Amino acid sequence: MAVLVTVVLLAVACLGAGCGGRSDDATAVVERFQTALDGGDGAGACAELSEQTASALEQQEGHPCDEAILDLDLAVGGEVAETSVYVTSASVSLAAGGTLFLDQASGGWEISAAGCRPSAPDRPFDCELED
Amino acid sequence: MRTFLRHNGLSIFFLLLFVAALMLQAFAGHADFNEDQLRHDNPTMSLGRYVMSSQFGVAVLENWQSEYLQFTLFILATVWLLQRGSPESKQLDKAGRESDRDQRVGSHARADSPRWAKAADVRRTLFENSLLIVMAAIWLGSWFAQSITGVNEYNADRLDHHQLPVSWADYLGRPDFWEKTLQNWQSEFLAVGSMAILAVYLRQRGSPESKPVGAPHHATGTEG
Repeated sequence: MAVLVTVVLLAVACLGAGCGGRSDDATAVVERFQTALDGGDGAGACAELSEQTASALEQQEGHPCDEAILDLDLAVGGEVAETSVYVTSASVSLAAGGTLFLDQASGGWEISAAGCRPSAPDRPFDCELED
Repeated sequence: MRTFLRHNGLSIFFLLLFVAALMLQAFAGHADFNEDQLRHDNPTMSLGRYVMSSQFGVAVLENWQSEYLQFTLFILATVWLLQRGSPESKQLDKAGRESDRDQRVGSHARADSPRWAKAADVRRTLFENSLLIVMAAIWLGSWFAQSITGVNEYNADRLDHHQLPVSWADYLGRPDFWEKTLQNWQSEFLAVGSMAILAVYLRQRGSPESKPVGAPHHATGTEG
């Protein structure tokens, strides 16, 4: 019985952490974002950002999102090294360096921070772009 | 049917209470979770998705594990430890596993004793300790499941704060895991300890958890 309980609870935990396709969906968003950046498609890159992040970028740079995002020092290349999904949040690390953070909105995954690198142990990453 | 309900009232009553409380916890937890999501400009979650989430899982399991630990320890400790005057304690000369005659096992088993109490092999050893084994297994299983749901919830919070997730093994050494564990343990230990002492001097007429109302304070191992 204890084994059965454990198996059921593990299944629950797995669902909570987001097994299966959710990780692929988050990866796909980042790949589209990186492809847009590589191609100089600012509008395409901004389409993958959350509204708050795009708005924060416009305020910070004083330009429309599709122009401002191309001026940032973000890693190029879309190869994803690792994706982690927990509940409604995800992180995607790029092979070229740098990490992106995503939130799951009603319409799917949106990028909330990009160009992030570790600052100090157990401290938030420093991000080129964040909400 | 009426006889069945009368003979099983205690377990049915608590099973119904459990289901009702779990459902209410789901509703309250879901509302609280979505309040917090809105406060942080994050998307809300449906009730169905919430009850399958780590947030709900860890809130349920951290309490389960501590309850089953409480009973596991209580079953084990009361084999050897005594409390003078407490109905939760055995009589003062009965500390330990007691003789086969007292426990009615092996050749001392009676006609109506369970079959495994009459056995002379490992079945008897298992049956002699079956309550402890099952309670401990549920405790360890739910504690393990708490650690899984806990690391998921912890990592979701880290990602929200733009930090990378930690591994399960790393999480076991983190304050979050031990705070969730110990906050439940301390309350269980207090409740059991205070019950053992209060039942020495206080009574509840008709309850087997109490001594008979007229029993002296020093009477140990008597139930009313």
